[in-house]
Amino acid sequence: MKFLIAIGSKDYSGSTLELGMHVAKAFNAAVDIVYVGEKISAFSTSEVMLAQENLENWELDRKGVDVLQWAYQYLVENKYIRSDSGNSDFNTDKLIQTDDDRCEVNLEGRITQEVGLILRNGDIIEQLRDEVKRSGTDVTIIGASKKRRMVHDLIQYIDSSIFIVKNYDRDRSYKLLLSVNDAPNTKKALKYGVRVAEAFDLDVNAMTISDSKEFRDDYKKASKWADKFLRRSGVDHEVNLIFGDFITIMNETASDNHIVVMGTSTKSPLTKFFKGSKPLKVSEKCNCPALIVK
Amino acid sequence: MLGFSNQTIADLLYWVTRKWWLIAAFAISLFLFYIPSPASLSPEGHRTLIIVVIALILIIGEVIPLPAVAILILILEVVLGIDTPNGVATSFMSDAVFFIMGSLMMAVAIVSQGLDKRLALSIIKLTGNKTWRIVFGFVAISSILSSFIGEHTVAAMMLPVALTLIRNTSDDQKTVQRLSTILLFSIAYGCAMGSIGTPSGGGRNVIMLGYFSEFGLGNISYLDWIKYAYPMLLLEIPIASVLLWMTFKPEQRILDSAVRKLKVKVTKAGKVTGNQMMAIGIFVFVFLGWVFLSPYLGLGIIALMGVFLYLSFGLIEWQDINRNTNWGVILLFGAAISLGIQMKETGAAEWVATQSINGMSMLINDLGFMQWFISVFLTGILTNFLSSAATVAVLGPVVLDMGGNPIILGLSTSIASAFSYLTIVASPTCMIIHSSGLVKSSDYLKAGWKLFIISVFILYLVSNLYWPYLS
Repeated sequence: MKFLIAIGSKDYSGSTLELGMHVAKAFNAAVDIVYVGEKISAFSTSEVMLAQENLENWELDRKGVDVLQWAYQYLVENKYIRSDSGNSDFNTDKLIQTDDDRCEVNLEGRITQEVGLILRNGDIIEQLRDEVKRSGTDVTIIGASKKRRMVHDLIQYIDSSIFIVKNYDRDRSYKLLLSVNDAPNTKKALKYGVRVAEAFDLDVNAMTISDSKEFRDDYKKASKWADKFLRRSGVDHEVNLIFGDFITIMNETASDNHIVVMGTSTKSPLTKFFKGSKPLKVSEKCNCPALIVK
Repeated sequence: MLGFSNQTIADLLYWVTRKWWLIAAFAISLFLFYIPSPASLSPEGHRTLIIVVIALILIIGEVIPLPAVAILILILEVVLGIDTPNGVATSFMSDAVFFIMGSLMMAVAIVSQGLDKRLALSIIKLTGNKTWRIVFGFVAISSILSSFIGEHTVAAMMLPVALTLIRNTSDDQKTVQRLSTILLFSIAYGCAMGSIGTPSGGGRNVIMLGYFSEFGLGNISYLDWIKYAYPMLLLEIPIASVLLWMTFKPEQRILDSAVRKLKVKVTKAGKVTGNQMMAIGIFVFVFLGWVFLSPYLGLGIIALMGVFLYLSFGLIEWQDINRNTNWGVILLFGAAISLGIQMKETGAAEWVATQSINGMSMLINDLGFMQWFISVFLTGILTNFLSSAATVAVLGPVVLDMGGNPIILGLSTSIASAFSYLTIVASPTCMIIHSSGLVKSSDYLKAGWKLFIISVFILYLVSNLYWPYLS
């Protein structure tokens, strides 16, 4: 499996990197850590590149390298990678320019598979979408953003599962909230959820929420299957069938002490674009990390 | 849905949301195409203006690559029957395009010589370690150098000097926030101001000179331009320094240890090498060529001679020039100049000029001031969202058709296109300092609007009180 962790700065991306690497470890996945810098106007691309190349002659780093340096130190200190020099200094000479707006360095992983550090410039959605396509990423992990429609664009346009790390506190005690229904992605969500629960030693609350009091047979069947799967996986869990509004119940239950795992909506992209979807609305409104499995 | 898979629909939606400027451009152009031409505008002029609208939307939106915009302009000029293929080809390539190409290539050659370390040492020797003197030195040196070499070349050379001083002062970004801002803006604004000083300061100056000669309005030599523009540049240096100091006054008033560390670092570079001497020699040769030979050879051909010499003497590899030259911009400027010429020839420029004057006459009675105000203010605003050279290429013919003294209006337009103080995208120098990650987009407006207004005011004074004595 391949994970992509998007980081923005030392100050705000600590929890994203920590949670992301922990989850990647649980999946024994190869990881790419990407920093996406601001878009450079097409009128200035070559001029900015020239200025940045000149900085190298002065042994000065371009913007973003300091963030990769910090990520590298985190990986070395937590023994995710082997350090070449025996210390946690990041050798910027190893950054290879692969495109005008992309450079990368590949590192040998110790616990996970190989780890790549990538520096990109441009529109965040465009760059992540391109990176996901390029590397065949299964899960993209990113911190919550205040940007309008960011969650919408991530879920709508990035062709991988999306893990939004919002309000994560390593000292808080978490449970895993799993949404179970008859959608095809539920089974995959359940498998991902079990891996995450095992990695963090979490109890699982598998909820099937129906907006009508009469539970459809498909829902009951899905709930039973989830119960069986969780039991076989040996995870402490409870299974609930609840009547009510999906978004309200999910958010109230999740509060700030759950990690939410949901399958992506089966609605058509056009409907999702104009009306949104339940997973999207839950991820936008909830106050805790949320994984939307595609 | 309609036999499309969800993935195809998702991809299509993604494309639409990213390219809505492109869709808007075509929708607007279709609408404009089907409305009848105004009585005072020829059908060719009408169609030329449609291309201008499409080009402006696509350039500002940056939804398709710049070379694609350039190619589209050329295609539409032929397809819409504005000119023949050969006519379009002729208007596409000019000495101004040669100059832009040559100066972009020379920038790569000059920056790669490592002359910036010598430059740093000279600046520090002149300014000492007081911060206000360093700020003044940065503005002055950036201005004066960029008036000859071209602004982004100077910015690329000055950026490491400023960053080294900042890092030598403190590693904590918050401690040096204001110091970073003032030093980096000293470079960006200094370079922008300096680019008005001589024709070689920016491609837009050469484009305007090209229009003067193409439209038979007169010839202005390299030295004539200096006589017109340099006094304004010299006036602006102290004003901009004070303004930046008042806006971003840093906590660190003396950079003693930072300057000392910088001196140690640049002294390690050793003595001037043979290659560096040769690089300086070639540039002096090019400069003298611009001053004395440009009436015969053209500024562009002389710039290309410089590139030829840098390549022939092995001072730069072609691969380096190829990698670091913005070919898309060169194509776009060629296409924009071609469009400017078509605007003039089809009468579109005159029509826009007349409409602008009629529209503004309700607000301003003084015709001379109105002509000046439209050319300067419109150029100044547009240059902050578009490229300055593209602004001059498109607005130049309109301004020159406005009536009044075309030389004064043309020079004012060209100078106003350097007032790129307000946004990150205003010029490559603004983008270069932003790429350091040490300045915020809001900082551009903080000092920029003041400098913009002061620059417009100084230009008004210079063009009304000083230039009439020169012509």
